[in-house]
Amino acid sequence: MSQTELEIVVDDPTAPEDDSPSVVSSATVETVVCLLLLALAATLGYDNWRTGASWDATGPEPGYFPFYLAIILGGGSLYGLIAALLARRAVRETFVTRAQARRVMAVFVPTLLFCAATQFLGLYVASFLLIAGFMRVVGKIALWKSLLTAFVFTAIMFVTFDVAFDVIMPKGPLEAALGR
Amino acid sequence: MRISVKAVGAAAALLLTTPAFAGWEPTKPVEIVVAAGAGGASDQMARMMQAAIQKNNLMKQPMVVSLKGGASGAEALMYMKSSEGDPNKVLIAYSLIYMLPLSAKIPFNWRELTPVSVVALDQFVLWDNSAGPKTLKEFVAAAKAASSPFKMGGTGSKREDHVLTVFLEQKTGAKFSYLPYKSGGEAATQLVGNHTEANVNNPSENLEVWRAGQVRPLCVFDKERISYTTKVTETQSWADIPTCKEEGVDVQYLMLRAMFLPGKATPEQQAFYVDLFHKVTQTTEYKEYMEKQALKPIFLTGKDMVQFLEEDDALNKSLMTEAGFVAK
Amino acid sequence: MEAFGLLLHGFAVLLTWKTLVLMMVGLVLGIFVGVLPGLGGPNGVAILLPLTFTMDPTSAIVMLSCIYWGALFGGAITSILFNIPGEAWSVATTFDGYPMAQQGRAAEALTAAFTSSFIGSLVAVLLITFLAPMISSFALKFGPPEFFAVYLLTFCSFVGLGREAKHKTVISMSLGLLLAGIGMDTVSGNLRMTFGSPELLRGINFLVAVIGLFGISEILLTMEERLALRGHAAGISLRVVLSVWKDLPKYWVTLLRSSFIGCWLGITPGGAIAASFMGYNLAKRFAKEPESFGKGRIEGVFAPETAAHASGTSALLPMLALGIPGSGTAAILLGGLMVWGLNPGPLLFVEHKDFVWGLIASMYLGNVVGLVLVLTTVPIFASILRVPFAAVAPMIVVSCAIGAYAIQNAMFDIWLMLGFGIVGYVFKKIGIPLAPFTLALVLGNRAEDAFRLSMIGAGGDLKVFWSNGLVGSITTLAIVLLFWPVIDGLLGRVGWRQQDKTATQ
Repeated sequence: MSQTELEIVVDDPTAPEDDSPSVVSSATVETVVCLLLLALAATLGYDNWRTGASWDATGPEPGYFPFYLAIILGGGSLYGLIAALLARRAVRETFVTRAQARRVMAVFVPTLLFCAATQFLGLYVASFLLIAGFMRVVGKIALWKSLLTAFVFTAIMFVTFDVAFDVIMPKGPLEAALGR
Repeated sequence: MRISVKAVGAAAALLLTTPAFAGWEPTKPVEIVVAAGAGGASDQMARMMQAAIQKNNLMKQPMVVSLKGGASGAEALMYMKSSEGDPNKVLIAYSLIYMLPLSAKIPFNWRELTPVSVVALDQFVLWDNSAGPKTLKEFVAAAKAASSPFKMGGTGSKREDHVLTVFLEQKTGAKFSYLPYKSGGEAATQLVGNHTEANVNNPSENLEVWRAGQVRPLCVFDKERISYTTKVTETQSWADIPTCKEEGVDVQYLMLRAMFLPGKATPEQQAFYVDLFHKVTQTTEYKEYMEKQALKPIFLTGKDMVQFLEEDDALNKSLMTEAGFVAK
Repeated sequence: MEAFGLLLHGFAVLLTWKTLVLMMVGLVLGIFVGVLPGLGGPNGVAILLPLTFTMDPTSAIVMLSCIYWGALFGGAITSILFNIPGEAWSVATTFDGYPMAQQGRAAEALTAAFTSSFIGSLVAVLLITFLAPMISSFALKFGPPEFFAVYLLTFCSFVGLGREAKHKTVISMSLGLLLAGIGMDTVSGNLRMTFGSPELLRGINFLVAVIGLFGISEILLTMEERLALRGHAAGISLRVVLSVWKDLPKYWVTLLRSSFIGCWLGITPGGAIAASFMGYNLAKRFAKEPESFGKGRIEGVFAPETAAHASGTSALLPMLALGIPGSGTAAILLGGLMVWGLNPGPLLFVEHKDFVWGLIASMYLGNVVGLVLVLTTVPIFASILRVPFAAVAPMIVVSCAIGAYAIQNAMFDIWLMLGFGIVGYVFKKIGIPLAPFTLALVLGNRAEDAFRLSMIGAGGDLKVFWSNGLVGSITTLAIVLLFWPVIDGLLGRVGWRQQDKTATQ
């Protein structure tokens, strides 16, 4: 290693512009999150109440703690909801700008597709597709570099997990055809 | 060329003493599914088998222990159920295959799996702290006289240990409060630390603390004594523990340790594993393990096994119903 | 000084070329599995266990324990560089370690992590060497009420710490506790909150949640900013190492406190996770400016790492002396010992002296060799940071998925990981803290079980938490910590705090 601290700053021509319009404000997201949490608290609370949430002779029943926790969660999110609604009138803080949202989607959508592909094609094929595709499309890296990197990485993972350590990963039709 | 290859193959087969049905063999690593946490009795048994198979070259493919102890072992059952037709997974089962579907309404039935063989029966012993009462009679008397109920440790809720505790209550008239721990090991140390008055652990779970003189076995829940006569402690062997019946409390319970394949395995696949586990039971590793853990040797397969399972299932069901552990 | 003689004997057993080579191999394999997310300590040891079946017990356990040390060291690397904790106890390390890496102080953070791991383990090994018999009887004093009191202490040390709005901490912690409750309730044997789904049966695995919350959400956040890892080269040069070491004495209180917490919680089973969080929280609580934690403070790396490793190491003591594993990895080692016909328990120290002292000696050697090895190989791992983000990002995603899947071999967990990734992203952006959530997810169930077992034992009487000196003092300490801000304020009013401040200025 060199003795000096190497600073790595990859120039990024596609960095999001600062003046990109806001898609959604933080307060709105907070409101939605609080509403979702409230719904979750209600569902779980109901289920625990059904399971039994009282304190019987030998201490609390299985649903006791989760039931009251659901109430606490509900209370917390209700408070958050009111706070968010009040804050909404005061300041508009940006949750995500349009440029940022586009970039987050650029990584989130492939990840989502990757999970779906893993389910049907097996993990190794899916990871090859993800790495090669992401490098080529999002990173604008040369096609041969993308394919090679994806192949080498996937192969290393395969050898490490499936061959050396016997950790069995989800497989798809390709592996079945090759007899693994 | 082809003929000579075949001849070599046949010779190799003979050397390995593979019987005539050598049709099917696993092509992938075989997963041995453990329905309990790391370090528990099932896990130890699985690792013993893994070692026995590897040391004696009983199988070409490696064996992988896969722990699926989630939800008190229900995870392993659902995993086996969903792996229908996959011959590279073997479940090492115990009484939970009867009890969990009853107590927790888990949609599982062992009849959907492919039975391979019953490989051992596990005993249950009533233990107390070595500072406590010395015989079962004294123990019961002390439990009855105590101002607050005696604390009985065990593994899990509404399972074999819990059922045994309820039966002990019914037969003796003493009251116990049952403390469900996560593992037999925990129940053992809690007894040593005097946080409970007794437990109903398997021999293997209390072996070490017994050897150290920290706990005392009161009686074994079987109709006959354990057969191993080698001294385990300074003065006692497993065979020196009286049965509970001898001591005047007629409660008996044995727990199976059996191997299952997922549903829809072919007869060839089944035959391969029957043969494999039969070979395992012949290894010295297995025999030493059985004696050390005071397991009752047994090897059942085919029709005998199914009949055994049916009877055992009926017994467990009636015990669970009587104890009031069947979920409505 | 009988222990000392026995230890020397242990070294004599170890110092053969064969054992030393095995040690190196074990360490390298360990670092390797530690860096791969989803493998980590327990899985790594479990996977490599069959390799040792053909060895004699001493060589085997030496190799396995070296894999263990290696995995512990390796886990810190991903926590600091990528914000992906490989183990539950590395979570607290990410709080300050990752910000440090972002500020270009990755080398410092890694050195701090490795050094404090080393110190923590060393203190614990010393403890094991000289106090083994005494301590094993201390562990026996822990029944359900004592366990609950310890968990309560961990939770209480957390409340009121964050900079975030109080209701957000409440939301985060209660959500974590609720999710922890999903699955089978061991005390009653009933299912709860599973809604009939076989996937929810096994509950939400903590590591799956953590990989999503930290790993995936970090990728999303990074992407939002710009197309590069916000990291700098983590070249560990001798200069950085020495400068961190020179500053060590300044942090002796933190190191000592964390070692103490770690040893104490390691001996009482299941403590490494609680220890790392508690070590971090207490360091923050007693710091002069607690606000600077979470923004890349070196003390925030020292505190949890020392505690986690002191605890991870001392967890081997109850395993050897009592047969109760103090951690997941210890449980696997326990299974390994059984395979070689060694039964951990009170008699192990008497019947297999060679083995026990060989193991203890290997802890010393393994630690020293491990420290040197990680400090020299870090540049290799850190060079990953130079690869373009567009290549690293999908690889991290794949590693996360492998990690999430490998824990329980369940496809559902990959989806769960993705879900937690979204939750982590949104929570981070609207300021709901993730730390209380993860803590609750790990310890929630254990705390509840301990509480309910205490209640069954005591017939529903809450006085059981003050029924003896041990449990009483832990419970009281927990409550003091809970109300510490109030107490601190009162002390301040008396004027005690004022003097303290002027003294430091």
